[in-house]
Amino acid sequence: MELLDRYLQAIEFWLPKRQRHDILAELSEDLRSQIEEKETELGRKLEDAEVEAILKRCGAPLEVALRYRPQQYLIGPTLFPIYRFVLAVLLIGSVVPRFLIWLAFLLADPAHRSYLHMENMGVTVLYFAFFTTLAFAIAERSGVKLEALNTWNPRKLPPVRDPNRISRFGSLFEIAAGIVVNLWFVGIFWPRPTIDFYRVRITIAPVWQVFFWSFLFLAAANVAIASVNLFRPYWTPRRASLRLLFDGLGAGLFCGLLKAHLLVGISAPSIPAAKAIELTNLINTLIARMLPWAIVTLLVMLSFDVFRIMRLRCVHPRGGSIGPAVKDLSSPMVNGN
Amino acid sequence: MSQSNGNHDLFENLRLELRRGCLSLAVLSQLRTERYGYTLRKALAEQGLEIDEGTLYPLLRRLESQGLLTSVWREEEKRNKRFYRLSPEGKLMLKQLGAEWQRINSSLNGIL
Repeated sequence: MELLDRYLQAIEFWLPKRQRHDILAELSEDLRSQIEEKETELGRKLEDAEVEAILKRCGAPLEVALRYRPQQYLIGPTLFPIYRFVLAVLLIGSVVPRFLIWLAFLLADPAHRSYLHMENMGVTVLYFAFFTTLAFAIAERSGVKLEALNTWNPRKLPPVRDPNRISRFGSLFEIAAGIVVNLWFVGIFWPRPTIDFYRVRITIAPVWQVFFWSFLFLAAANVAIASVNLFRPYWTPRRASLRLLFDGLGAGLFCGLLKAHLLVGISAPSIPAAKAIELTNLINTLIARMLPWAIVTLLVMLSFDVFRIMRLRCVHPRGGSIGPAVKDLSSPMVNGN
Repeated sequence: MSQSNGNHDLFENLRLELRRGCLSLAVLSQLRTERYGYTLRKALAEQGLEIDEGTLYPLLRRLESQGLLTSVWREEEKRNKRFYRLSPEGKLMLKQLGAEWQRINSSLNGIL
């Protein structure tokens, strides 16, 4: 019976303390009964291999012991989906922007090695994961009940969301803002060799003309798209592609503008000439330094545009206007009416 | 080959799920008369419902902690054994579950 005793000892380690003796006595009795019955049947003592077969059939010690323990979890099934969502948002929110900034500096300003350190990224991720898990584990242990599960009302649920619908308010705002900003832009930045700003004279490089007319064209195109969106408030693959094209051109132009050293000179009665040159160079350098940050922002903006096109192509591969996905569920063909 | 394994695993999972609820009912029904674990297992096996010790004893403990069974340690054939039987609450529960089982069974017979 040595094998049996060793088996029971292995199970004992994992059993709940208060019931340990009781459980072992009962299980031992059952296994001894099985062995005795087999011995009576064969008319001899069982060999070790035969006892081993009985114990193996009973299951691994840990597996057997765990069946006696109540089901335990750090974060239960109710809180777990929320935990996973919060963790994903925090991790993506902490990792993606830093990665993009790192990438932008790597592409735009590789000489600045100090920006390329990513070592503490792992620590940040661990901190987020640890504290989020801890907070949810505490919530689970303290028996937090989600009030929304008991008090929910179908009438209070948010309206059916259609990601391809363009809000009319958004289009109106885009048109109004586009017109106002363009008027201001034309008034202030109309191409000319110098701009007088109070008592300061700013000299601009001739290349500004190219940027000015390009920006103006793109701004007008965006206002045109917004106007079409106002009357046809669903994205189509063609309009979404045009938006991507114009945003992409705008992003490229903006990045070129930052690197163009547009400022040729600054002069003011109160600034000495040497100081003015120094100031001009400083402003040009500072503008150029903004390039990595601009790249990140523009990449995020363009990725939204790309995602929109992919979404349209997935739902409606041949193009055309898109209705809300949920609406389809109530169509006669689907519900068989 | 792997799809066949997947189907087999899926069948096993669904079979266990189907069996889980039935086992409580079977155990309760067999404990109208007092039995200890080993004889209970044999009685169920003789009626075609095999149940291993790793499943039966935790189930007996759970049913006892829910007040549906009572148990007592007693010596029999020179060995200490734990004898279980239905408590009054267990008898009532068995009656209710039995009726529910009949309803489900007749519905499923119609459906299948």
